[in-house]
Amino acid sequence: MDKFLYLISEGGKNIWRHKMTSFTAVFSLFIALFFVGILITAGENTHKVLQYLRSKYKIEVFFKQDVSNEEAVGLIHRIKKIKGVRTATIIEKEDAVRIFKDQFGEDITEILGYNPLPVSAVINLTRTSRTAITVGPIIKAIRSLERIEEVRYQGNLIGKIEQNYKRIIDRFPYLAGIIIFIAVLIIYNTIKLSVYSRRDLIRSLQLIGATRLFIKMPFIIEGMLIGLISSILVYPSLIGVVKGINYVFAHFTSWDVTLIFNPLVWIWILILVIVITLVGSYRAASSFLK
Amino acid sequence: MIEFQNVTYTHQKGYGLNNLNLSIDEGEFTFLIGPTGSGKTTLMRLIYFDLIPDAGIVNVNGFSSSKMTRRKIPKARKSIGMVFQDYKLLPDRDLFENVALPLHVLGFSSREIPDRVEESLELVGLTGKNNHFPNELSGGEQQRACLARAIIKEPDVLLTDEPTGNLDPIASFELVRLLESIHETGTTILMASHNYNLIKGRGRPILELKDGLIRGR
Repeated sequence: MDKFLYLISEGGKNIWRHKMTSFTAVFSLFIALFFVGILITAGENTHKVLQYLRSKYKIEVFFKQDVSNEEAVGLIHRIKKIKGVRTATIIEKEDAVRIFKDQFGEDITEILGYNPLPVSAVINLTRTSRTAITVGPIIKAIRSLERIEEVRYQGNLIGKIEQNYKRIIDRFPYLAGIIIFIAVLIIYNTIKLSVYSRRDLIRSLQLIGATRLFIKMPFIIEGMLIGLISSILVYPSLIGVVKGINYVFAHFTSWDVTLIFNPLVWIWILILVIVITLVGSYRAASSFLK
Repeated sequence: MIEFQNVTYTHQKGYGLNNLNLSIDEGEFTFLIGPTGSGKTTLMRLIYFDLIPDAGIVNVNGFSSSKMTRRKIPKARKSIGMVFQDYKLLPDRDLFENVALPLHVLGFSSREIPDRVEESLELVGLTGKNNHFPNELSGGEQQRACLARAIIKEPDVLLTDEPTGNLDPIASFELVRLLESIHETGTTILMASHNYNLIKGRGRPILELKDGLIRGR
């Protein structure tokens, strides 16, 4: 037990003994993880912007003239069941007259002597989908219902927005893969260099009869602690950067960047860093042990 | 205690030991002398299994090179103390930590360690220097620190490879005296040196190594 505690404490002490090396390692790891954090934040905020734009998507469905308000309610229920539809709000004939009056200042029933405006519905689409929405099938499904006179929507605009989003999300895994790969390489090599700078220590320990595990253990603990410190530093730094960006943004727009704290993501990153530093230290120390 | 049977070891550059036979009994204090490049360090490295012979067998304290595995080497080294010309003290640790290191390797409890370190440092005359780092010690003190680290685990065999190589004559003489006092406790000692004047007339066996062979005893 004493031996185990000694090895654990040596791992911690090594960080203090080799302040400069440890600082370099923490800094390199921090930079690598910071970029991963920036990538996650950028991804989350892209989706937030998209959600806002999607909330503006509007499909207007006009029913045939002879469709009553009650009939329209039944049809709207069927529209709501179409995949991709979030809400469908009925605009009754009387509401249509009021809207007309608001927009044109005239009461159409007084002019014509009857209400020519049909019952309609305003449909909003799902906002949270992580995949691009294709509006075509939704329109097709609505049109396939009987007693529909006309469907109006911003097809061109929705298509462009969703196409661009698709372009981003298609490339996102590759970009994330490259950044994480670079981060792993940086972490791995930093740990290796840190161990390499102490190869004489490894040699001396070997000569006094230390086992391979005895030699490796402090390096592993040290590597894991460096990984832990770097990971812990990343989140407050991201908060700082996001606050800075929002401060600048406040001068131009009401938009702000949100730093979403998803514990699961950060736990995975922490586990990944600890595993890399553990494997990196283990392999680096092994390579200097004959 | 230490036995070489027809041992041959050749380094990549060609030099080494050539069909060497040697036997050192338990409790013996033997000097190993020879010019630079004669194979003294190779012989030492073979004893602590840092090298495995190309041919022949090295037996040390019950461990044989013919049955040596990577896993067994640390076990074999636990009964061997080593003192090097370049000290090999860890520069990032103070004297106490350097000397205590073998005890941690052996799994001594943290309560036992301070007393044993004190004893060891007292024996080599470094009492009160516990908190000094190697770069704060003189060459002679560093070599004595290295000796303290070697003897703290009470090894059966003590190997000293050119321990006086970096020391002035007085410090060299004191170190040999110190080794002789350690030998009186029953430790088998092999000291390699190229300084014949330092070891002659001490009534100890002297092995002369030249071109990888024992030329005289």
